[in-house]
Amino acid sequence: MALKALDIYKLLPKKNCKECGDPTCLTFAMKLAGGKADVDLCPYLDDQSKSVLGATTRPPIRLIKIGVGERSFAVGEEFVLYRHDKTFYHPPGILFKVSDTQEPEEITATTIRVRDESFTRIGTELRFNGIAIENASGSPDAFARAVTTVEESADLPLVLISKNTDAFNAALIQVGSYQPLIHAATKQNFREMCALAKKHSCPLVIKAHGLDDLAGLAKDCVTEGVKKLVMDISPQSPGDFITISTAIRQLVITRQSPDLGYPVFLDATHPHLQDAAIALGIVKYASVIITPPLSPASAKAALTLRQNIYTDPQKPIQMNPGLYRVGTPGKDAPVLLTVNFSLTFFTLEGYLESTRIPCFMLIVDTEGLSVLTAVAAGKLNETLVRDSIRKFDVEHEVSHKTLIIPGYSAPLSGRIEEATGWNVMVGPRDAAEIGEYLHEQWKNHES
Amino acid sequence: MGYDLHFGWTGAIGRVILGATRADGGTRKISYHIGGETTLPLLDKDPLSPTPLVALEICDNPEYWSPIIKNFCGDLVNTVDEWAKTAETVYGADLVRLYLTSTRQRNFSDIASVGKTLEAVLSATALPLIIEGSNEPRIDSEVFLKCGETAQGEKLLLGTAEAGRYRSIAAAALAYNHSLIAQSPIDVNLAKQLNILLREIGVQRDHIMIDPYTGTLGYGFEYSYSAMERIRFSALKGDTDLAMPMICSAIDSLTIKEVREAEPALQDEMAVRWEFYTGIAAAAAGAEIICVRHPKTVGMLKLAFAGIRSGADFTDVK
Ligand code: SF4
Repeated sequence: MALKALDIYKLLPKKNCKECGDPTCLTFAMKLAGGKADVDLCPYLDDQSKSVLGATTRPPIRLIKIGVGERSFAVGEEFVLYRHDKTFYHPPGILFKVSDTQEPEEITATTIRVRDESFTRIGTELRFNGIAIENASGSPDAFARAVTTVEESADLPLVLISKNTDAFNAALIQVGSYQPLIHAATKQNFREMCALAKKHSCPLVIKAHGLDDLAGLAKDCVTEGVKKLVMDISPQSPGDFITISTAIRQLVITRQSPDLGYPVFLDATHPHLQDAAIALGIVKYASVIITPPLSPASAKAALTLRQNIYTDPQKPIQMNPGLYRVGTPGKDAPVLLTVNFSLTFFTLEGYLESTRIPCFMLIVDTEGLSVLTAVAAGKLNETLVRDSIRKFDVEHEVSHKTLIIPGYSAPLSGRIEEATGWNVMVGPRDAAEIGEYLHEQWKNHES
Repeated sequence: MGYDLHFGWTGAIGRVILGATRADGGTRKISYHIGGETTLPLLDKDPLSPTPLVALEICDNPEYWSPIIKNFCGDLVNTVDEWAKTAETVYGADLVRLYLTSTRQRNFSDIASVGKTLEAVLSATALPLIIEGSNEPRIDSEVFLKCGETAQGEKLLLGTAEAGRYRSIAAAALAYNHSLIAQSPIDVNLAKQLNILLREIGVQRDHIMIDPYTGTLGYGFEYSYSAMERIRFSALKGDTDLAMPMICSAIDSLTIKEVREAEPALQDEMAVRWEFYTGIAAAAAGAEIICVRHPKTVGMLKLAFAGIRSGADFTDVK
């Protein structure tokens, strides 16, 4: 049951002291009502009000920050089961796993790869998020050495994995202040693990199979004073993972099981199911994914899938057809034709902006189809082009009659020329080449 | 703690039968009953949660087929029946999807050759077939009727009907009892509209598979993913005009920049992973048939679908 902002306000201390990060108690109350803040941020709230408010105002999944500094990331604070219901907010961190039984050179190489590797898609840099270090040797010294090796090469978010409290002690002396995620507290060892997590104030993974055990363990850890939790549901298969992660997401967003309101962890390590597990983890609610280093191809595919799934689905798929300006084009500026599929539009627009050549984009109505499909389906045809030129009065906007069409629509060039009386130039197939094309072809065409 | 991943849904996805065995008047070695589910895909231990089939796409004129596939398959791409046979015996596909690209040449008119090609493929492989006909309204009717007739009794899946271009294909499907693919551009309402149009001219629900159009990863895939989810939920909530199984084919996967511009040594790998990640995510959104073009993706997807359910020893290897 959700409370209204004013009801919440009545329960707050009304000191307006700003310690919660909000200017007044009332604005804090409004945030709480929207599920965008945590009651714990107000230090003056009495326990009873806290428990009343906590249950109904906390975001259904607690926000957990992992690491410090530039590359730190936060996961949790999700509100929906399906991205089309609103959006997914916090993309999962994907971390490469190393073991303290590996040679230091290998560990360093993986660390440097995660530190430096990035690739840019639609104006965003995509990267992996950190390193998971496993205490496979069982030796505290080896673990501490491996952790130091990683730490010496990069300030990346870390996951520390061990079954041995002494090993954690040894490692946390080195990196405890960088908020590594420590893996994992179980029914057997949660007291010691909570003590460690508290001492270094780092987030803690709890591990159990079965929702009751997980919820029980989460409660036990909260009682021990640790609230920054992440849940390893210890799946038996990728299918088991999505079954349980879906159940958890459903139970927490409907507030049936607030005790499970923490981000979910997935270890995707498997001799042949690793890629499948990562893909399913990305689409079905994993928040921290660890995996042995991925091949370059898997790496790109995984990061691209994550970017796609965490894109805001409210972004329209179709643009309004029309004549769009890039920069302030003059009468002699080039006119580039393309379809009204928003992804095509935004991709092309991005590249055009970076060429710094002012121009017009003539967006025609292909009902949101991409160029390839629109040509194949006959939606992009000479009649549509002719009518669009008329409708958007292109002849009065420019002093020439040359139209640049997308590379994939080359088969239509003759028919477009006939139908419009315009001179057609076939542009590149790939928007990325448009800068070069304009500089070479359009400039030549002018002279 | 109890949970129910059937979410109080009352609808079920209709079944479409692909392929007929001798017992049913065909010559296929297997007949797939696709659909029937009442919940989300790939769930563990839930018999009503589907695992998708994998189709390899091939063609009878590889002129415009991806150079990546031509390099990988070599001469095979020039002999369509051998290619189809290899899809079954070597690559391990569940289905073969044959694109009659020969019909896409300018002024194509040799309809008899379509029948011959299809006959050759039918005898080369015993897998159920998906046939993609012409791209040219002028010859649609003849091509689809020829396919329908040649493979009468085999329960083909014919592609692809779209709004404004579905009559010829529907006529062929109706005349020879095949099913068809109904494609709409990434939109739940347009998908529904097309299904209604098809129903009005007599195509039964159990003869339609929905193709919501799949943009590949990085090129609109997120829209397709959500369109598939929405189509599926509408169906599970009881909308019978959307309660058909879905087919997904991210045909742009091999032409996008990431794959085209990959270093030559990495190109196959990039193509395969791109198809694979797209296919797994599409399966999670509800697609029952995943179509791919790279033979190596077939094996990888099959292995994954087999291992996604329990028994994968996912915990033991840690
Ligand atoms: S910290 Fe508490 S008392 Fe202070 S302004 Fe925020 S809500 Fe009010």
